[in-house]
Amino acid sequence: MKKTKLYMDTVVDIQVVTGKWKSKDEAEAKINRAFEAFQRVEQACSRFSPESELMVACSQIETSIQVSPFLFEPLKFALEMAKWTNGVFDPTVGKAMEDHGFNRHYLTGQSIESPSADSVTYRDIVLNQEDRTLYLRKPMVIDLGAVAKGFAIDLAANELKEFDGFVVNAGGDLFAGGLDERGNPWEIGIQHPGRREQIIHTIRIPNEAICTSGSYERKSAIMPGMHHLFHPITRISPNDWISCSVIAPFAMMADAFSTASFLLGTESGKMLIEQADLRGILITSGLQIVRVGGI
Amino acid sequence: MAKMNKKWVILCSTAVAAVYAAGYFTTETQASIQQQPQHTQINIQSNGGQSNDTSINKSPTSSLYQDGTYTGMGRNRRGSIQVAVTIKNDKITDVEISDFAMHYSESDVVGMPEEVIQNQSAKVMNVSGATYSTQAFEDAVLDALSQAQNA
Repeated sequence: MKKTKLYMDTVVDIQVVTGKWKSKDEAEAKINRAFEAFQRVEQACSRFSPESELMVACSQIETSIQVSPFLFEPLKFALEMAKWTNGVFDPTVGKAMEDHGFNRHYLTGQSIESPSADSVTYRDIVLNQEDRTLYLRKPMVIDLGAVAKGFAIDLAANELKEFDGFVVNAGGDLFAGGLDERGNPWEIGIQHPGRREQIIHTIRIPNEAICTSGSYERKSAIMPGMHHLFHPITRISPNDWISCSVIAPFAMMADAFSTASFLLGTESGKMLIEQADLRGILITSGLQIVRVGGI
Repeated sequence: MAKMNKKWVILCSTAVAAVYAAGYFTTETQASIQQQPQHTQINIQSNGGQSNDTSINKSPTSSLYQDGTYTGMGRNRRGSIQVAVTIKNDKITDVEISDFAMHYSESDVVGMPEEVIQNQSAKVMNVSGATYSTQAFEDAVLDALSQAQNA
């Protein structure tokens, strides 16, 4: 059984292997709950809706405010990655992304222009684990594009774990659980960065996530040569890699590591994946395939 | 190295657990008792495109759209698209793709010999790639919205 919906400006596709024990209605109810995870995370983390929990929080400066785990947890993960990469990965790039033309809500077409200080870094965000509060030192726009979708995939996967097999695919970032209809580990293709309708590599993954960060889908409409991934300080899009796929036990992890390795470039990007004991398939701008972690 | 991996894995597993522990995302049995959350909707109240003040919610005086589920049609590079857009109180609550052909088959795999391709049935494969946008669906969503519009 398979269902497709739109969330977070992408196409979310959920398929399950129902096996013998589930009725059609039960399976559908489960799938709908998995979709609900996307809805909840989007509502918490979107920087495109002024009413999202994130944007409401961003409008309150120098105040501790309590936030839901749908926002707190991915933000916490993003901040850990920011620290780990010394700010090459930085969720406070939201305003810069708005300035680059990534400012429209995908369903309503409405664009957003948010107040922000000129210079912000992840150090201007303070999280308190004890009471799950968020404190911002400056006005800013937080972008959770590299973690929120992964987190929603993980929550959805958790809802589907009773099935013999399932795949949650959110626009090319996915978690494959259990086995496919034929009883094999799910076979996943990695998209060819240059030729849209082709696959450059295939891999079988059991109970793992694979996320790909690439520069070939989302280009800046107003700044030539720029895409949706760029260095927070130089504001330049790195071009060592054209595509970085990372395989990890959680989608949030694969999501953040694929983005961070893309931003870090050839050597540091590879090292990041190795240090975390993960596997990756990285593709250079010259279409050379680099395998990391014994794939 | 393995220790480093553990740190990130723990962050992820506690993240999932936190959502359930806080009762924000209840288990199935609890869900049947609990009411659906009301803040899970996307406001389609347009105020001309730009909004500088993110803290004010403009409340509509009369509804622009009729509640219900509407079918919209559009096209992308692989053919036609059909979406079902659900609207409640001028908000988009759900967009389901009812007919969509963004499929990759094994014949798309680079370098596979011709004979092999011919012997394969067109099995649909899951593909990991840079997140593609929903741009191709925009027309279909707008089409559905136009039908929902109150005259």
